[in-house]
Amino acid sequence: MYFSDIGIISLILALGFAVFTMVVATLGATRELPQLVASAKRSVLTVAFFLILASAALIASFLTHDFGVSYVAQHSNLAMPWYYTASAFYGGQEGSLLYWALMLSIFSAIFVFTAKRAPTVLVPYVMATLMGIETFLLIVLTTVSNPFVRLPVPLADGVGLNPLLMDPGMLIHPPMLLMGYMSFSVPFAFAVAAMITGKLDSEWLRSIRGWMLAAWSIQTLGLVLGAWWAYHVLGWGGYWGWDPVENAALLPWLTATAFLHSSMVQERRGMLKVWNLSLVIASFALSIFGTFEVRSGIINSVHSFAYSAIGAYFLAFLVIVIVFSIGLFIFRLPKLQPEQEFDSVISREGSFLLNNLLLVGAMFATLWGTLFPLISNAVRHETLTVGPPFYNQVDGPIFIVLILAMGIGPLLAWRHTSTRALRRNLGIPALAAAICAAVLPLLGIRDIWANIAFAVCSFSAGAILYEMWRGVRVRHRHGEPYLFALYMLFERYRQRYGGYLVHLGLVMLAVGIIGSHFFQVQQDAVLKPGQKMDVAGYKLVYFGNIDRTYPDVEILTAQLQVWHDGQLQQYIYPGRQLYARFANQPTSLISITTYGLTDLYVFLANWNGLSEATIRVFVNPLVPLVWLGGIVMLLGGIICWWPQRRKRLVSVIVPHTEKEPASERVGAGAVSGGEGALAPPSVESIIGHSDGSKAEVAPGREGTLASPPVGVLSGVPENDEEATT
Amino acid sequence: MRNRHSLLIFLAVAAIISSIWFYTFLISPPKQTLDQRVHDVASQLKCLVCQGESVADSPATLSQQMRGVIRQQLQSGKSEQEVIQYFVSRYGDRILLSPPWQGLTLLAWLVPIALMLGGVLLLFLVLRSWQSQSDKSPLDADRTESVDIDQNELAYYQKQVAQELAAEDSIFSRPGSEVD
Repeated sequence: MYFSDIGIISLILALGFAVFTMVVATLGATRELPQLVASAKRSVLTVAFFLILASAALIASFLTHDFGVSYVAQHSNLAMPWYYTASAFYGGQEGSLLYWALMLSIFSAIFVFTAKRAPTVLVPYVMATLMGIETFLLIVLTTVSNPFVRLPVPLADGVGLNPLLMDPGMLIHPPMLLMGYMSFSVPFAFAVAAMITGKLDSEWLRSIRGWMLAAWSIQTLGLVLGAWWAYHVLGWGGYWGWDPVENAALLPWLTATAFLHSSMVQERRGMLKVWNLSLVIASFALSIFGTFEVRSGIINSVHSFAYSAIGAYFLAFLVIVIVFSIGLFIFRLPKLQPEQEFDSVISREGSFLLNNLLLVGAMFATLWGTLFPLISNAVRHETLTVGPPFYNQVDGPIFIVLILAMGIGPLLAWRHTSTRALRRNLGIPALAAAICAAVLPLLGIRDIWANIAFAVCSFSAGAILYEMWRGVRVRHRHGEPYLFALYMLFERYRQRYGGYLVHLGLVMLAVGIIGSHFFQVQQDAVLKPGQKMDVAGYKLVYFGNIDRTYPDVEILTAQLQVWHDGQLQQYIYPGRQLYARFANQPTSLISITTYGLTDLYVFLANWNGLSEATIRVFVNPLVPLVWLGGIVMLLGGIICWWPQRRKRLVSVIVPHTEKEPASERVGAGAVSGGEGALAPPSVESIIGHSDGSKAEVAPGREGTLASPPVGVLSGVPENDEEATT
Repeated sequence: MRNRHSLLIFLAVAAIISSIWFYTFLISPPKQTLDQRVHDVASQLKCLVCQGESVADSPATLSQQMRGVIRQQLQSGKSEQEVIQYFVSRYGDRILLSPPWQGLTLLAWLVPIALMLGGVLLLFLVLRSWQSQSDKSPLDADRTESVDIDQNELAYYQKQVAQELAAEDSIFSRPGSEVD
């Protein structure tokens, strides 16, 4: 009995329980038998248990070097350190599928544990959908792509892992990205459940938003880590190459971002139900498409390490998902009559629509660019590349407009914003943009596009920071110290301020991208000991190469001094690693040193003995902001997602005859003002900073716009002066 | 008064920005060094022996030679477009990193642009129909009538809002708003 036998048995049992869950959950829901639903819940946990067991069996096979298992023999060898051996678990196709199935089952288990928070009617259908996806994965895992298949004769030693994957980034980047792909299944399951039951209310929306935020955060982390991995391993001085696989990971992220915005319109105004459902389904379908694309090898990419015929299965699954979703749509459409009521384009919902247009537009453009070589090949039989210049020219402007909209959007009120109020709110951000546009040429930055892009970024950053400052100032006036006031804003209005933080992170990321896109300086030189090269204010002096040989790997590094501002900064050692088994694939040890906000990126392109090296140097301004921005975005996502304590709803019973001085202060005449005119000014100005989470204060009253309290709650930043309009 | 003030500031700011942009764009277009021009051209060409890398990024020998050719041709007075055309005539369209603006590959550029424009148009039409819907909606009439709300009821609602807000965030609590 090998560990791999335990693995196979676990997979088969997991498959059985997954099918069982689907059947029982559906029966429990349609026949209204709570016992069956409870049984389905336990069955979901059982699936998770067996998948954990199967994964443990695979890791045990790796760590015990059981080269009788084909997958283990192909992806590890005796010389690999234990952590790379263990991470080889997801280094190949079969293992990464198992990892995906494992993550799906764990997320399903988390869903079961937190099922109390979700609307009860939906729970069985969500479980059934999740287990439907799990069933597909398990069928693939037990048939065409089984990681536990044994070789007729065990090998003495394994082949080993692709050296590009033997990098610390490998330990965390692929699992995050695969988890990100997978995490779109839960919102999808909620969408399916809602379409079956017809329950698309605010409770449903809250649940699905929570899961979508989690998926979005994981995918954000996966994307940033992927960029970081490419930057530190591939050696071309960049972090994003618009490679098909990178695009595939970006596509669901774009639709998920669109959903997170447009679902707020549904939350507040009851609009866009159909559109939001399509975005959820699109996110899931795109994540399946991404897997299909990576696995099938239909498109060449630097990132795909495993090709096989499995692509056909994913294509079939993708078709099933799309057909099934469209079928449900048609079935449910009559009930999806929206509460369409639109007042003005210059409003928060208007800006969200623009945001959606841009995000979905960027998604389509990227998808089109990714698929175009296939189309061209089919029509003209000519291989054609759609590379970075295409995406930079098509997606670049879209993202710049998006960042601009990101600055304006939060300043707009729901329903309608007067141009006067808009002007007042835009003053400071516009000033920030003007200063930026004026100062940059003085600093010697003459590129018009860089100037526009930076000015737009400062506009958005100015808008967000000014908005935060106004919130802090209001609270400060009520006696809170500044820092505490800031903390309280984040504590009380998590969605809103978490969102601002995400936006701020995105601006930082954009500044990093713009800086490195427009101002990267690159230079190559063949150096002999004692020779030096000058790049953009940095001087590199070459001393020679150092060669170290270990049993399995040879490491060759060049030794260089870095001089900057007339001072010796440090020694750097860019190099190459040559694994004995992959002699023709030397991996790079790139030296990246950061001075302020500028990266000095040194790559050993070639070498000749110990006294000649071809050095390729990139000076990458502002790249550290990309990573910093990514971290800030992630932090903001987590703040948005972090469960808020359920609000105590105070039920106030006021005898109608009562009269209080408070009502005099309010000024009854202000009612005609509509928005926000009801409460005393101090309350209003704070409400202006509080929407998002505020909507939950009075869930019972949603949509009753005619009743005064909701008028107050849909508060707008400028309403203290809007009152008289 | 304050509003006129802010309008003036806003207009001034817009004027500053646009004049700077016009100045940098029209009057003093940036002078590029030869290195930059070589890089510009090389980054539009695909390295034929590598995977997904441009001639500018690739360390391969072929790419090094191609960079040398680009430098020579630019030095001899050819424009960037002419150098790119030279490589296309020798290697075909596959050397380009982005599809050329002609023939079938024009579609690669036109479809995203058309989709964007179509999206804007669709959004415009949808919004217009929504707006006309909401103009006719009876809810609107209700809203204007709700001015004649009973004062007691109004006070009650105000109280409830104040109380809910106070429960939500201590900053909203104020003396005199407690309800017995």
